[in-house]
This record gives sequence, structure tokens and C-alpha cells, in this order.
Amino acid sequence: MTWLKLVEGYMPMQMITELAICILVFSIINYSLKRAGMGLPKFWAGIFVWCFVNLFYLKYRIYPPIPFSVRAIYGTVAACGIFMWVSGSQQEWEEFKRPIINVLDAKTGMTKFIRTALLVLLPIGLWGFAYNSFLPSFDEPIELRTVHPAPPATTKVHGKTYVLQTAANPYRINPEGKYDQAYSNAHIVSQDMGRLMKDVNNPEDNPWDPNAEGYIKHVREGGEIFFQNCHFCHGDNLNGRGLWAFAFNPIPANFTDAGTIAQLQETFVFWRVAKGGIGLPGEGFPWASVMPPWEQHLTVDEIWKVIMFEYWHTGYYPRTWE
Amino acid sequence: MNEIQFDTGHFEKRMVMNETTTPGYGRRGLGAWLLSCGLLMAGLGFTTTSHAEMAEGFAEGSRPAPPSAEQVEAGKRVYFTKCVWCHGVEGAGDGPGADRLWPRPRNFNAGTFKIRHTASGELPLIDVDLFQTVTHGLPGSAMPSWEGILTEGQRRDVLAFVTTELVKDRSWQDTEFEEFHVLQLEKIEPIPPTAESVKRGSELVKEMKCIECHGLEGRGDGNPFNLNDDWGFSIQPADWHKCWNFRGSRQDAYNVKNIFRTFSTGVSGTPMPSFADNTTIEDRWHIANYVNHLCERDKDVDIAGGNVTDEIAAELIAAKPRGIDPLTDKPKVDFVVPSKYVEGDLPADEHDERWDLVERRIVAMGGQITHKPRNFVTRIDDVWIQSLYNDTHISFMFRWDDRTKSVQEDEVDWEPYEVNLGDYGIEEQPPGGSMFADDPEHPESIAAKQNAYQVYNDGLAFQLPIKWQELPAPRKPRYFWGDEGFPVDIVKWTADGELKAYQGAGWDVDFEDRDDFTEELKVVKAEWNHGRWTVIMTRPLKGDYEEDAYIELGKYIPINFFVWDGHNGDVGRKMAVSAFYYLVLEPPIEKETYIYPTLAAIGLVLVEGWILTRRANRRKGKV
Repeated sequence: MTWLKLVEGYMPMQMITELAICILVFSIINYSLKRAGMGLPKFWAGIFVWCFVNLFYLKYRIYPPIPFSVRAIYGTVAACGIFMWVSGSQQEWEEFKRPIINVLDAKTGMTKFIRTALLVLLPIGLWGFAYNSFLPSFDEPIELRTVHPAPPATTKVHGKTYVLQTAANPYRINPEGKYDQAYSNAHIVSQDMGRLMKDVNNPEDNPWDPNAEGYIKHVREGGEIFFQNCHFCHGDNLNGRGLWAFAFNPIPANFTDAGTIAQLQETFVFWRVAKGGIGLPGEGFPWASVMPPWEQHLTVDEIWKVIMFEYWHTGYYPRTWE
Repeated sequence: MNEIQFDTGHFEKRMVMNETTTPGYGRRGLGAWLLSCGLLMAGLGFTTTSHAEMAEGFAEGSRPAPPSAEQVEAGKRVYFTKCVWCHGVEGAGDGPGADRLWPRPRNFNAGTFKIRHTASGELPLIDVDLFQTVTHGLPGSAMPSWEGILTEGQRRDVLAFVTTELVKDRSWQDTEFEEFHVLQLEKIEPIPPTAESVKRGSELVKEMKCIECHGLEGRGDGNPFNLNDDWGFSIQPADWHKCWNFRGSRQDAYNVKNIFRTFSTGVSGTPMPSFADNTTIEDRWHIANYVNHLCERDKDVDIAGGNVTDEIAAELIAAKPRGIDPLTDKPKVDFVVPSKYVEGDLPADEHDERWDLVERRIVAMGGQITHKPRNFVTRIDDVWIQSLYNDTHISFMFRWDDRTKSVQEDEVDWEPYEVNLGDYGIEEQPPGGSMFADDPEHPESIAAKQNAYQVYNDGLAFQLPIKWQELPAPRKPRYFWGDEGFPVDIVKWTADGELKAYQGAGWDVDFEDRDDFTEELKVVKAEWNHGRWTVIMTRPLKGDYEEDAYIELGKYIPINFFVWDGHNGDVGRKMAVSAFYYLVLEPPIEKETYIYPTLAAIGLVLVEGWILTRRANRRKGKV
């Protein structure tokens, strides 16, 4: 469905909104049809709503697809909701079950035909369904992996031990050369769509300005490292959609998502970058991650700079311990 | 006056191009094609002026208005946030990321752009061509789609900046030299893809000499290491079987119009010329239909070296496009590799009909960039796998496109089981910087080095955990040749004909030979043909439980894959790798599968009878 793209980061909100709009549209149509004296039979309306939500929306619209078991749960919830809706009053309930009773009684030729057809088709359908579920199926097993496992207290990189609670990025400095997160926070990219640098003509905001000094110059150096090493997987826009992202499972982290580096302290990121996939504890599935242990490729300074670039480019602040 | 002069100059230039770049077409007769152009254009109702040189299907386009200074300034802000990292401060395609990229980022300075609706040699349409490139990216390269990242306005702003400030040698506003003859892609009626059209296309690609670069089966294997772009950097012909990697595919891989456009306007800056001047619109559609139907679909159709018969053409037409994953714009990947049971001997070649029993799966490959020496330029990005088993053995058929057959000829200093080849001087591509980027002649430049690798063996390997039955779920051995606690069973085939079994215990631990198991392995077939390897190998299901992976039915067995392209300097850890997949040997269907559903159906009939009786009784009681 290319005409209506799901926007990354807004997907859950977008879906709730879409479903709400669908329900609203349906209610309006239903109400106006009723006013016009052509009200939909409750029975068919109920089936239609259930099919729309469960079969069409959850199955085909949501991407990546959700597993059948989850859809079954939503389907049951939807069925309960519809049941409550159609059984609001005795009269409505009677109206809802009338088509069913009619078929059971088979007073007309049409209902007789439907009854006979159902009597034959239902067992055949059940047989097919049961046969299918008895056939061994080999879907990919679901394995739940912890994305942000608990970090160690200290990490040793290039012979030096860093205490994660107290270590600080030596390049996150103000023009006086002091560690200053408030200063760097003020010079990251803007938060609106595009996440662009705040002012291309200000040497304090533009890493590529020839007069850039200190923090913002280190951001550029970090960016250079990023685009020589990291973008292959994490992507040109740091959204985890790099050149080779399609080959890997788990897919590379999306730094523009509010659930990754925005949730973490800078020292946690330092530990993850330096030790890579192989350095993860068991719950992080270290055997499956292709994340390099960057201490094998970069110096400590380069790691700090590239982390600073990632925060600058995504417009997030590292979390602090306070 | 000016215009007339320009026209003549342009005309002459074109004639020269015709003669130099595509020898042989002169013979077809200028008059003949001019006539056909005229006839067809009249037929299509184009109101073209006196441009005698305008090719069939083109019409005069309009010059874009110059952008405002504010827009250029806004675009500069976008450029220096997002684009500069690869395209460089001056737009010369020499940003910090450039040297580890292949293909390299575009150098904007000369105004040469690959994907256009405008005639060969002309500047592209900013609002159409460049805007679509920024919006959809250039698949198969590092240029991503910026849709959803930059607003439409921001995308237009950055183009305003690039086209006015970074395209330095030419200008869209240059009324003296720049004209726009635009392919009328939306107005030209496509020729439906019928078997006849596809067959005619297959003949035309030979007549037009497309196969000289793209290869007899279109896998890009003609002359793959001798082609350069305008800047002297190595470039390879497109592989028609991977339409999702076509730069001009616009996130719509199977759309034939993209091919028609590229074929009509050429790919500027590369050896791919425009064929508008010497091909009728009809013929261009036939070629586009053929190329489009070569793109991998559900069924693997053997096109017999490009000698497409009516039967093959019908098969190509019948095959259905593969699902493209909207998250990656590549074919959807299923991480389960099924293997099906066959009775008797396993297939002896790829033509055995029993391969149709089991679906082929695509294994996506990325460069190995976890440990040194990393591989930043991979030329193999997928492998197709199929598997069958009988009572004692399992067979794997691997097929992958590789433009070159590489068999190591020079002696090497290391043993096949060694993995730390850094000790022997195998190095990764340095980050570079722009020092030599402009000078492909320089022996230290990327361009010079890229085509001058020592040729090693092409190869393919896969690993299975040894004693996977005892792995505490979801634990696996490390994807990269196992680890200390969990060794892996590695089977590696190399193009010199070797198929060997090793034990791996870590990314930096030399393999251990498993000579006993090596004897049990068999290369059934290994053939490189028209840019594709077909390697069929068998191994016993069960080896020594302690040493070799012991394959059982119905279980999920972790497996992953490694590929080497010898002409790309791939050797040791310099290779392409895959994620973990699961190998599953699907057991034959059991009796219970039929019995229980039958019981359930009988039960339902009884319930139906009960409900009807009850209803009938109730009505009787009521009435």
C-alpha cells in the first residue's frame, strides 16, 4: 500500500487514529442509513465490522505483519465488543439473531437452500481447517531478545577501566573547554521533521563551518567516523536502514527512534559501541548480533566523538544519572 | 540564429557519438530512422518543432525557473546536515564516506546525472528526475530514500542548492547550450508483456549488443572489470536479474517503465548509452519487457544462455513477481530454509524436476564488517538456496550471481584452514579521505586498487552448530564461526573444486580439519555459467554426533552462510555474511493428520443434527 505510507515512529498513533476514523465513518454511514430508513441489518453489520478489523486491517494493513496468535486475541476482543454492541437491548438482540433463527427454521426456499448448504459446507470447512492445522508448519520461531540489557558497572577499553556511572564524554564541552551538556544540548539539530542543523551560518551550529571549534568540530569528526564505519548498517539517516540492513536479523538499531539512544546514558552507549554484539550478556543474543566490538577498529576518542555525532544528528539528549 | 547553430552542433555531436559509442548502427541508415521517427511522432501527435535530431518519443521540455535565494539558503542547511558526509563540501562526491563506497557518491560538479527523462547528454529535469532520486533513493547504492525523513519542501530546497551551487560546469539557466528534450514516458503507450514481445526482446538485446556488457543471460558478466565511469572509477554492468537493485527502479522494482526510460535516455557518466536514436519505440518496449521479466520471480526459469524459445518466453511471462519488503526495498526474506523428502537418489543436477517440490529461498548477504579485515564493498548480495533429503543424505543447491568466475592461480602463503590472514597482509579498505579520490591513475587511489586485487577463489560456506540438540534455547553458537563453548560444523566449497569440513571455534581461531567428514561430502555439481554459480553438494544427515552436526527431521537447526568473490579480493574474513536462518527437514505427512480432522467433521455433523432437532422440538412446543 504505497499510497498511504506508515510513518516511522508514529506508527502506533497512526494506526489508532486510522481505526478511530474507520469506526467514525462506519457509525456515520450506519446512522444516516438508519435515518434514511435503509438501516443495515445488525447481523451483517456485526460480521462486516469484525471482518474489517480482524481480517483486513490487522492482517494486511499492519506492517511488519503480526503473528496469528496475536491476531486471534484481537479477533476475540473484537468479537466480544461486537457482541456487546448487538445485544445492547432485548430488541436489538432479537434483531441480531433473527437471520440465524430464520435459517434454522428454513421456512422459505432460500433459507432452506442456505441451511442445506451450511449443513454440508461447515463439516467440510472444519475438516480442511483441522487438516491445515494438523499439517506441520514451519514458520520462523519467535525469539524475544532484550534490546537494552543491564550494563556492567565498569568496562575496560584499550587498557583503561571506565566506571559507567562516572565516566563522561570528554568532547562534550562548552567554548571554555568544560564538560557542559546544557551547551551541547542547545546546539543539536532541530526536533522538527528533517532534523536539520539549527543555523547553517553559525559556526556554533554548523559542524562544516570552517570556523567551527570545540564541541561542534568534534561532532564533524564523529560524523566522519560514522560515515566511514557505521552507516553501512545504521543508515545515512541513522535510522537503521543502511545498505546491508536487509541482510541482518536483528535489524540494526534505529537511533532516530525514541526508544534507543534517547533512552540511554552516554556511557551505556559507550559500553555498547566499544564491546559490540559479542560483548552483550546472554539476554541480548550476542551470538546473533553483527555489531562490531568497535574497540577493535576505533580509538576511545573516536568512539566518544561518534557517539556525540549520533546524539547531535538525531536531536536527542543523552540521559543523565540524576 | 543561435538556435540553428546550436542545433547543427548538437546534431554533429550526436552523429559522432553514434559512430564512436555504438559502431555498426550507422549501417542501418540515418534516413531510415529519421523517417521512422517522423512517422511515429506524427502518429503520436507530438507537436515537435524543427529538431531533426530529436529521437522518437521525445518532446521539447521547458526550462526550470531559477530557485529563489531563500530556497538555495534553505537547501544549504539540508545539504550540510544530511548530504555532505558522502557528497563532500564542494559536491565533488568526495565526502568522508566516499572512499569506502562502491558505487561512489555522485560528483555533482559536471552536472552529469544517471537517471533522467532527458535525452542523452542533457541535464536532468530537477522537479522530476532529481526529485525522484532524492525521494526514492538509488537502490543498490548507499543513497537512501529520503521520503519520510525530509519533507517535500526540504527535498526541493536541497535540489535548489545542489543545482545552483554544486553543479559548477553547467547551468539549467544556460539558454545558449542547454536544451531539454524530454522522454514522454506517460504518453507513450506501453506494449503489453506477451511471450512474443519477450522473445523479440531477447533477440534485440543480442542485435543491439547489450549482451556484450550485460552478458548472455543478463547477469552483468560481460566485461565486468574493464568498465569505468567518466571519472575513471570502476563500474559494473547491471544484473538484470536483480531489478530491486536498478538505480532507476524508484522503489517500484518490477515496473517496466523504469527500464524503458533508462534504455531510452542512457545512464550519463557511464558506458551505458542512450538507445533512443537507433531503436524504435516498439523495439524499446520489447527489450524493456524482456529485461523486466528476467528479474527473479517465484520460479527460476532457465533461459538457456539467452536463446529464448517460445516455451521459455511463456514461462518467463507466467512467473509471478516476488514480494518486495517495503522496509528494505529488497525481496522479502524468510528465515526458514525448508528441505523436503525425496525417495531414492538425490538430484544429480539443477534440471531434476524434484527441485520443484521445494521452494527456493533467498539468503540476503551483507559485507562482513564485524572484525578486521572488514569488507566494505560486496559484489554478492544474495544467494538462492534449495534443499532436498533422502533417508541418508541431504542435498543443497546454491545459486548465486557472480559476474566473474574466480579460481586462484597464484600460490598463497597460508593454509586453507587459517583464518587470520592479516598476518599475511590481507588488509581492509582504509577510510581514505579525498587525497587520491580525484585521481584514478594514482596507484594508491581507490579506483586503481579496486580492480587490481590478487584473484582468490570464489567460495561458499555454511555453518551448523555441533550438538545443536544440546543448545539451551535460544542460545546459538556465534554467527561468525562459533565460539569457545559452542563449536560449529563448517562446510566450505571453493572454486578450485575443494569441498571440506572444518570445525570452527571462533572468528579468530584457525579451523580444525575434519578429514573423516570431508570424505563423506560430495560436490554433485559446481558450474559457473553466464554470471551465475550453481553448486550442488550433499552431506550425510548423520555424522559423528560429537564432531559433526547431526541433522534430525522436523527440528529448527540454526544455519548461516558465507560467500567469497575472488575477483573482489575476498579471502579469509573478507567476505559476505548472512544472518541466522533455520534449516528444517519437513517430515513426510503422518496418518493422524487425516484421522483427527475426519473425527472433528463427524462430530460437527452430530452437533448440527442436535441443534436442528432441538429447534424443531422447541417450535413444536411453542406452536
